[in-house]
This record gives sequence, structure tokens and C-alpha cells, in this order.
Amino acid sequence: MLTLAGIKMPRRWAGLFFILPCLAVTTVFFIVPLLMTVWMSLNTWPLLGHPSFSGLKNYVDLFQDESFWGAVLFTAKYTLVVTPAIFLFAFALALLVHRSVRFVGIFRTAYFLPVVIGMTTASLLWTWLFNDQVGIFSAVLMDLGLVDEPVQWLGETNSALASIVVMVLWKAAGFTMVILLVGMQAIPTDLYEAACLDGAGWWAQVRYITVPMMRRTFALALTMSFIGSFLAFEQFFVMTRGGPFNSTITVVHWIYRASFTYFKLGYGAAMSVVLLLMLLVLSGIQLYLLRDEP
Amino acid sequence: MRIPFWVRKLAGGLAAALLASGAHAQAGQEITFWIRAADAGFVEPLVKTWNAKHANQVALTVIPSDDFVTKFGTAVAGGAAPDVVAIDLIFVPAFAQAGQLSDIGAEARSLPFAKSLSPSHVRLAMFDGKQYAVPFSAESSFLLYNKALFKRAGLDPNKPPTTMAELEADAKKIAALGGGVKGFYFSGACGGCNIFTMTPYVWASGGDVFSADNKRETLDNPALRNTLAMYRRMWKDGVMPSGVKTDNGSNFISPFFSGKIGMQGTGAFAIGLLKKEHPEIDFGVTPLPGEKGGSSSFAGGDSIAIPVGSKHKKEAWDFITWCLSEEVQVEQFAKNGSIPVRADLADNVYSKQDSRFAMASAAMQAGRTPYSVHFNQLINDPNGPWLAMIQEAVFGKGVDVAIKDGQAKFRQILATP
Repeated sequence: MLTLAGIKMPRRWAGLFFILPCLAVTTVFFIVPLLMTVWMSLNTWPLLGHPSFSGLKNYVDLFQDESFWGAVLFTAKYTLVVTPAIFLFAFALALLVHRSVRFVGIFRTAYFLPVVIGMTTASLLWTWLFNDQVGIFSAVLMDLGLVDEPVQWLGETNSALASIVVMVLWKAAGFTMVILLVGMQAIPTDLYEAACLDGAGWWAQVRYITVPMMRRTFALALTMSFIGSFLAFEQFFVMTRGGPFNSTITVVHWIYRASFTYFKLGYGAAMSVVLLLMLLVLSGIQLYLLRDEP
Repeated sequence: MRIPFWVRKLAGGLAAALLASGAHAQAGQEITFWIRAADAGFVEPLVKTWNAKHANQVALTVIPSDDFVTKFGTAVAGGAAPDVVAIDLIFVPAFAQAGQLSDIGAEARSLPFAKSLSPSHVRLAMFDGKQYAVPFSAESSFLLYNKALFKRAGLDPNKPPTTMAELEADAKKIAALGGGVKGFYFSGACGGCNIFTMTPYVWASGGDVFSADNKRETLDNPALRNTLAMYRRMWKDGVMPSGVKTDNGSNFISPFFSGKIGMQGTGAFAIGLLKKEHPEIDFGVTPLPGEKGGSSSFAGGDSIAIPVGSKHKKEAWDFITWCLSEEVQVEQFAKNGSIPVRADLADNVYSKQDSRFAMASAAMQAGRTPYSVHFNQLINDPNGPWLAMIQEAVFGKGVDVAIKDGQAKFRQILATP
């Protein structure tokens, strides 16, 4: 028997009480909305007016909706570009701020700082940096005499994608850096000392000690940045609005459009469910590939 | 019995709150009023004037223009609709169809000046024979041109173009001045801006975007084809600055302020704005021309309506009638450089001071407005088919491909009820 808050109870109940807050929060903010989304996806649910049950109609429509699959393809392309970019950049940053040298705290803070800014705020900031009339990038290039006219950074699909990737690197690499830094610092220093005695150089130490010892950290960092990229919305919504020629519409942007431009909440919900399933499968594959070797 | 301190404190607070709300009820009701950000400039002083004189207080909420339909739709669905809304007249049919606006036909018809209310506004306020809104503010489109650049390019500043061919030739001459000067400007990534400034060329040339019954698209017509082709030539020839391609409307008027833009389509708001903030720019206004002369205009602006969820319908209607009074339409709107929604007030002391306002008023009376419950999805949506068509036609693969794609997407959306 155990006494908790003045109440006597069997010991095994206590465990239940300890996880109750977590369970309650997950139920209210995740499980219930998830079930509601699934229910909505089975209805024709206009934003204005009354919903009516329509079975799997939304899903059937969805599989024939070219624009949705176009958005999936673009999101996959964006994710495949941005995830490795963030990872490599963050790994380089982590290697830089790993050693305890003077002022390292300042650098760690500086690299991490953009993470605490909201994505929408950061997107707005960069929209103006990329702006052709008042933006700094065009102005600098023009002052250097490299271009005659302001550059339309967001005017072509590829340059728009590249511009957003640069912004996201600046914004998100700090977070991955911190995760990698924690993993890096968990590696016992005697491994490096032993390698040093054996005559291993800096690169050999990174290649044969740091990288193999960080497998799990890599899995965590990659999965998180992969999911984050697949759910990209604000940066595209704010910076390109899906343009030019509707070529930069991500899946979540499509869900937003279906729900709030076309007022088809049921259809939006069906897309969300499909996106959730895709992410589950893709994350599963990723974790399997990055698993600890038997 | 001893009452805990916090209970006494709470009770005291509650009593104070009750007293305060009682006092508030005596002072009058609160009317919540939503507008889009673009209107904040002229609505804020109006609300201030009302609140200073009336017991019922208007609480104004300004919503970002692009998000208005979404925000209002969500609020209505969530049972949090305001008492009064001023919405772009173009969206009234969609909200009326969705059953979200109160039928105010009887009240509107009993207004002494009912007959002189802007016909475009009234037509768009109707759905299934019932009237759901009355006009609030008016905005017409026309061509704005820089007289100084006309002179420098050897053109007569008092003879603005009267056909599309003249417009294109003049724009070319102005762009030839070089030094960053361009002949023409438009917001190439903004659907709403282009229904406002581009369709008048089409109408003036005998074409249209929708059929007369508003049920079908009529995109494949020579007038639209030639208008888009003219824009494409001006883009290819460097008559327009490169920024037009990505301007989503946030630079709708600002490039003209630089004094380096020869001509562009715009609305009456620009007259007041230019006079006040850029007195150094010598500008003229003229109707948007057709291929072989003639002219047209988009009769736009806002309508004012009472959502079905309003809890103060009577007070809301009092406020609306005041908004239509001479005190507001002339002393607030006309005085600050916009046009009244009442034809009987079009000729007023302020319009007489500047003939440019008279031109804007005349354009309003003769202007046209498309009617569609799908207007937002078709035209204003930044990823919608209207803008996609313009982008493809002017900057992309060309006019024919663009119109063909546009037709298919328009039909798909128009087919839904």
C-alpha cells in the first residue's frame, strides 16, 4: 500500500496516477482531435452549413485529384533537398561549437537564436530581404555591379525553392545542431584519447568515432527534420503563396486551401489523414534504415 | 461562519463587474463591426465620429484583406459572427447563398434614397430575389498616368490613350526613356487586382469573363485574348519592370510613387493618396480604353450587411443608415478622396474641386461587376485559375495555352453548386 495525497491505494495504481496528466493531455489534444478528423473526413463538411455523411467519397476524390498529388510530389522534392542540407549544415556547426574554446557560448547562442523566432515571423523577415524594391540581397548585388536589375528571387520555381531552403537553413539548423551537440558530448572522451595515441587525425576521429557513435542521434535528428519539412506550410504560404505558376504548393498548404478557400473541411480532413499515414510509413522506413545493427 | 478572504475578494470583484456591466448597458449597446484592412484608413475616423455622438458604441475589428473571407467564414461557423460587416461587394453572393447574412430588403427599400444607391452594389446584394446588403463604399478602376513622363517622352500630357493600341505605343515610348523608367505597371501575382484593372479592357472591347447569366465562363473570346497578348508583349519588350511578376498586390500603387512608371490601372483611392503624400507627382486619370476606343471600369467597393448571428440587429441597422447619410458619404468619404455610393451625392462640394474625382464617379456609374458565388475560388485565390491564367499568359507559355487551362479549371469550379 502507498499513500498519495492522503489517499491509500495499492502500489500498482500509483503508476496509473503518475501517467494520468500525460494521458489526459494526449487524449484531449491528440487522440480526440484525431478521431474527430477521421470522422470529418467521412463527411461532406462545408465550413458554412451542415455536414452530411458521405462515406469514402472524399478519399475517392482525393486519389483522382492531380493537384493534391502534385503537392505531395513538390513536398517530397522540398524535403529531399532541405533535410540533408539542414543535417550537413547542422553537423558542421555542431563540430565547430563542440570543443570548449573561448566564446563558444556566444557562437552556440548565435546559431541557435533563429530557432526561437516563429516560422511566420522569419518568413516575413526574409520576404523583405528577398524583396526586389527594398531587399538587401538585390541591393548588394546591384551595388557590386554584378546585376543591373533587381533579382526576382521568388520569381522562378527553382530560385524560389532555393531561397526558401536558405531561409529554412538559417531558421532550423540551430535546432538540429543542439540535438547533434548533445549526442556528440555523450561520447566518452577516452575513445578520442585512445585514437589519438594510435595516431588518428581529426578526420579519422570524426569518421571512425563520432559518426558511428551518433547513429541514434542521427536517427532522431533526421526523423524530426524530415517530418518538419514534410509539414512545411508557413514559409511557402508567406513567401511564395504557392507561386510562381502554383509550383510551390505544399501538402499542408493544399489542406489549408481545401478547408479555408474552398470551405471543404471534410476533404481537408481526408487529406490530413492520408498525410498522417504517409508520414507514419515514411518515418517507419527511415527508422528501420537507421536502426542499431543487430 | 468565517468566510475565507479569497471568497470575499472574489465576491467583491464579481459585484464590481456586475455594476460595471450594468452601467455599460445603460450607456448603450456595443455593436461589433468587421472590416478589411484596406478600408481601415477611411473607416477608423468614421467609427470615431459615430462613437463620439451616439450611445451605442461601435467596436471595430480590422481583418487582413486577404484573410477576410476565411476569417469571417470561420467566425460565422463558430457562432462568433460580428453585428455588422463591410465586405467586398463581390463576396456578398457567396455569403448570401450560404445563408449567413440577414435579409434586409424591406429596410433597404424604405430608405428615402433607395433609388440612387449604386446599382452594381445592389445587384450583387441580391440572391434568390432577396436583398442581403446595402452599399457602403465605392471604388472604380481607371488608368493613372504620369504627366511629367508623358512630356519627357514627347507625348501630349493632356491626350492620354483612348485605345489599347495607343496605350501600348505610349508605354513603349515612355520605357524608351531608360534610366529605370518603365511604361506600364500591374500587380502580376494578384488575382483581385487584375479583375479590377484588367477586365475593363476586355469589357470595353466587347468581351467578358462570365456569360450573361453568370453560370458559365466565356474566357475564350478575342477581347480577353488580345488584352492578355498586349500585356505579354509589354512584358517581353521590357516595357514593365521585372517586379510585376511577383507583386501580389502589396506594391499595387507604390511603384508609381517613384515617378518612374508611365501608366497603370488603379482605383479612386490613389487620387487622394497621391495628392496627400506625393504632391510632387503630376498625374492624370483617364478611363481604361478598349481595342477600338470606348471604355469601361470595374464598379467595386464594399457592401455593408448584418450577419444572421448578430445580437443587435436594430442597432446595427441604425448604424448602417447613418453610414449612408450625407454626413458620412460626403463629409467623410468624398472629403477624404473616395466616391459616394449614392448617385444623388456624386456631385458634391469636394468632387467639384478636382475634376479627377468626377471622372472616377462617372466611371463608377458606368462600371460593371461580375456576379459569382465562386468569386473567391475563381478570382481572388492566389492559387486560383484566374491568376494562374494571367501568369501563364503574360510570363509563361503563352495566351492560348493559358486560356485553355483556365477554361477547364473555371468549368470545374463553376460546376459545383
